[in-house]
Amino acid sequence: MSENWVFYYDFNRCIGCHSCAVSCKNYHNRDPGVSQREREMADWRNVNHYESDEGDAFEEIPISTSCMHCHDAPCVDVCPVDIIEIREEDGIVTHDRPDCISCKQCLDACPYDAPTFSEAEDNKMSKCNLCLGQGTGSAHGQDKRETPEDGGVKPSCVDNCVGEAIKAGPEEEMLELASDEAVERFENGAHNQRVIVEPMRTGSEDVESLVDRVGEGN
Amino acid sequence: MSDSTEDRSGLTRRRLLQVGGASAAVAIAGCGDIYSDDNPATETPTNETEPDEPDQPDEPATDQLAYGNCWICHHNCGQEVTVKDGATVDITGVDGHPRGSAGAGTEGTVCPKGQAQIEKVHDPERIKQPYIRENGELREATWDEAFSYAADRLEQFDDDHGSETFLNAASWTTTPVVNRFWKNLYGTPERISRGIHVCAGPTFMTGGMMGVGSNNRIPDYQNSEFIIAWGRNMLESFAGQFEAKGVLTAIEENDATLVTIDPQHTETAQKSDEWLQIRPRTDGALALAMANVIIEEGLYDESFVREETVGFEAYRNAVEDKTPEWAAEKTGIDAEKIREIAVGFAEAAPAAGISQWTGTAQYANSWKASQNITALNGLVGNIDRPGGLRLWQSAPTADPFEVCEFTPEGESEPIQGVDLPNNAEGKQKAIDKHDEYSEYPLRHIEGIAHNLVPDMVDNGHINGIYVHYDNPLKDGNAAAWREAIEEMDLVIATDAYWNGVSRNADVVFPDASQLEKDTLGTGSWSAYSDRTWVTGSTAAVEPQWNTRPDYEIIAGLAAAMGWGEYFPWEDNREIINDQLSEVDLTLSELESGGDNYELLAEYEYETWKSSDGPTFWFDLGHIPPFANAAEEAGMTTAPEWQPPGTYGDEPGGEYPLEFYDTRAVFFSHGGDQALKGSQERYARRHELEDEDYRGNYLVLHPDDAADRGIETGDMVDVVSETGSGELMAYVSGSTRRGFTTTVYGFGPGSVQPEEEGMNSMDVHSKQMDPITGMVARHIAVDVAPTGGELS
Ligand code: SF4
Ligand code: SF4
Ligand code: SF4
Repeated sequence: MSENWVFYYDFNRCIGCHSCAVSCKNYHNRDPGVSQREREMADWRNVNHYESDEGDAFEEIPISTSCMHCHDAPCVDVCPVDIIEIREEDGIVTHDRPDCISCKQCLDACPYDAPTFSEAEDNKMSKCNLCLGQGTGSAHGQDKRETPEDGGVKPSCVDNCVGEAIKAGPEEEMLELASDEAVERFENGAHNQRVIVEPMRTGSEDVESLVDRVGEGN
Repeated sequence: MSDSTEDRSGLTRRRLLQVGGASAAVAIAGCGDIYSDDNPATETPTNETEPDEPDQPDEPATDQLAYGNCWICHHNCGQEVTVKDGATVDITGVDGHPRGSAGAGTEGTVCPKGQAQIEKVHDPERIKQPYIRENGELREATWDEAFSYAADRLEQFDDDHGSETFLNAASWTTTPVVNRFWKNLYGTPERISRGIHVCAGPTFMTGGMMGVGSNNRIPDYQNSEFIIAWGRNMLESFAGQFEAKGVLTAIEENDATLVTIDPQHTETAQKSDEWLQIRPRTDGALALAMANVIIEEGLYDESFVREETVGFEAYRNAVEDKTPEWAAEKTGIDAEKIREIAVGFAEAAPAAGISQWTGTAQYANSWKASQNITALNGLVGNIDRPGGLRLWQSAPTADPFEVCEFTPEGESEPIQGVDLPNNAEGKQKAIDKHDEYSEYPLRHIEGIAHNLVPDMVDNGHINGIYVHYDNPLKDGNAAAWREAIEEMDLVIATDAYWNGVSRNADVVFPDASQLEKDTLGTGSWSAYSDRTWVTGSTAAVEPQWNTRPDYEIIAGLAAAMGWGEYFPWEDNREIINDQLSEVDLTLSELESGGDNYELLAEYEYETWKSSDGPTFWFDLGHIPPFANAAEEAGMTTAPEWQPPGTYGDEPGGEYPLEFYDTRAVFFSHGGDQALKGSQERYARRHELEDEDYRGNYLVLHPDDAADRGIETGDMVDVVSETGSGELMAYVSGSTRRGFTTTVYGFGPGSVQPEEEGMNSMDVHSKQMDPITGMVARHIAVDVAPTGGELS
């Protein structure tokens, strides 16, 4: 087991409220109150809603995702100027933003559509930094991520998650929180071990495939 | 400060460290009492609200921590706000908070609409200074001008029409003095509030008459094993986040069964073990059939029914032939499913609870639906038992007018208490005084009805109004109300936003928003099933622009009327401290120790055991005013089936669709649709953020949409017999065929700055529940692409 930070997500507790996405935007001061029409700034954390069927078989499943800070991050491999790195000390994926050439290859490669590009941010890549820094481009080169117990900040999305559905921390700690079934799936390589996901209690759609569908568009 | 019996310092330290990094933590931790009485709030207010460039990290040394208790939906979730150079920049919850967490040792959060509170503080769309009407136009005024203008107009109004024809329509004020001003001093008996009149009259009133108060709304989730969300969506439309958290906790820890009864899919339905997609307005039939099963199978609480209730025979008779098969036809729910839910509920009782509120109370036949549903609680004997219908208690507070101590002008000795006159004494409400309203049964139990106000204005029985925060144009016969507002001789508005009332007012007082005010919450239900509590906070920042907290507005107006002596308090904080004297607390004590709430007295379950006499009434014949109203309305006093259309609309013919207005997790009522962050989020939720439209969406079933050639993103007209509105369609299988809904609080007359979207009340005329006068919000309509033909 590793010290690398991962997200844990319990669909059963996610009420689709978008509090996580709003909180992220507030914390990182990314213009929460400005209309997209006036100043586009895409979300680092997204809540997608997957609707299927109708009548009493209708389902609508919210899935909250951000950059997963993959241990095998595909974005790192494709970046032509080599500015994205998986930090050795905590596994957080950061990038040396000023050198970004806006080619968007990372976005194409990302399974979760996490990299964002907005005119309001010079069209250079910005994404979730696990609240290692505060604000766009603030994480690169920061010291090791501390847990809240050791004085680090709690990730803002986790801090305002109404359902307490999202958690984040060193992989070891997160696996301790997870149910046996979730741990088993993780150990069997679900999502390439990029995120720990609880199995669904209600709903016929498989949350596993929904999480993986996030980057494919709906 | 919170529970003195718990050691919470560990949590507290962590929370403090979290705000703005380590160096800020020192600054904050070093003076935990930054906002104490001796050291009042913050920096000079600033109009420069542009956020910093994202690339420049914050200067942590200037961050300060302040508390709040949220008033976006007025349910007081605790807030921890980061203030930087006088601006509110970040917000999160208070751990263990009674309304904003799942209870002791759990995280506090702030929901998406609550988070908008920090945007609201600096929202440039707000009303920034007082206005008065001059030569037909609103013009900016100083506070003194506005107060003296309003005072003159009020005096003139009293001479011309009599103060008893002035309607106090204040809602959700953050100070307790407003109603005293209008009733005791100005002397009007006319008052309209939200709860009974436009929100859920039948839920409140049936609960009250049946003996459980309005506690039929929120069961004891945390201890429950079977929860029915009856026309409720408490995972999104919660009255404090503890509701959503409590339901999730019950599922996780008690393995509770969750059942949702709703014509439309919701997040609560999604998380439910069973979602019964009931035919709209047939909830009363389902409730009777459930009682039929429970009685037939002998699953009711015999000893509770025998010893504590009245009217069981009438109830038994009413449900005798209401079999699941009978109800299946009415409700569209399978008879076997009805049996299963009834048995599940009764077997889990008393640890089984029902949550009912607006969904089963906003149609014209909802009095009986509410009564039939509430009756199930008495039948299974879950009253005030763990996991059932909790008789919630509130912390007592003192009446500030009684306990305040002050030295009157010209005196040397301080005195206690303000001797308020009652200038409304002997004055009659229009509904009692004039014959014009004698056809309305509601006059027996209610003093006014929302939909009757325009008639009263027409008849000259109401000639002026004070509107405070609430906007009547989003809650009833909007077209008639618009005319009434025009026609009234005097309209005074206190609000943070421009809307159809404030734009047409004679005087506009700009209210500060919650984080700019001192606030107190003492409500009943919470994550703590057996403790009363208080939560409070001093203002996090100064009032922005030239706005004032509502206490100062009322006190200023009082001074201009010559009633200054009745308002001896400097500010609302002094009032709150007077209120808190009952429980030996002050605001600054509440805000010390790492949180802003305090758990107070413990209270028991089964409190009814200590009182003689019945606890629960199935039949309401014991309340003569109700019996009279029921007779006039043609209903009995016992539970009873009333089909849709008995009162109000019935879809069919030219208007085949049933239209209803709902809420979203991003807005509370109609007060926050001005906020861009919230508009944006609602658009993203529907994946319509790329459209140049920020109004509400009409949820339309795919078949209904296909019949009319409508697709998601099309603009459509919704037309009823009496009115219409235009909005964007969202086609989804989440609703039933024939049932179409939108979120209310948008469109003409709303706070949405461009008035985008549809005012859902523009299709409404006067439909109401005959007993409470509660606005009926199910309207027969048709829908067509904008400019197209109706089907
Ligand atoms: S961890 Fe921080 S940056 Fe990442 S999504 Fe959550 S709030 Fe945003
Ligand atoms: S805040 Fe939590 S519950 Fe709400 S959408 Fe995000 S993950 Fe889900
Ligand atoms: S539930 Fe209501 S009171 Fe609580 S944070 Fe949300 S808007 Fe505020």
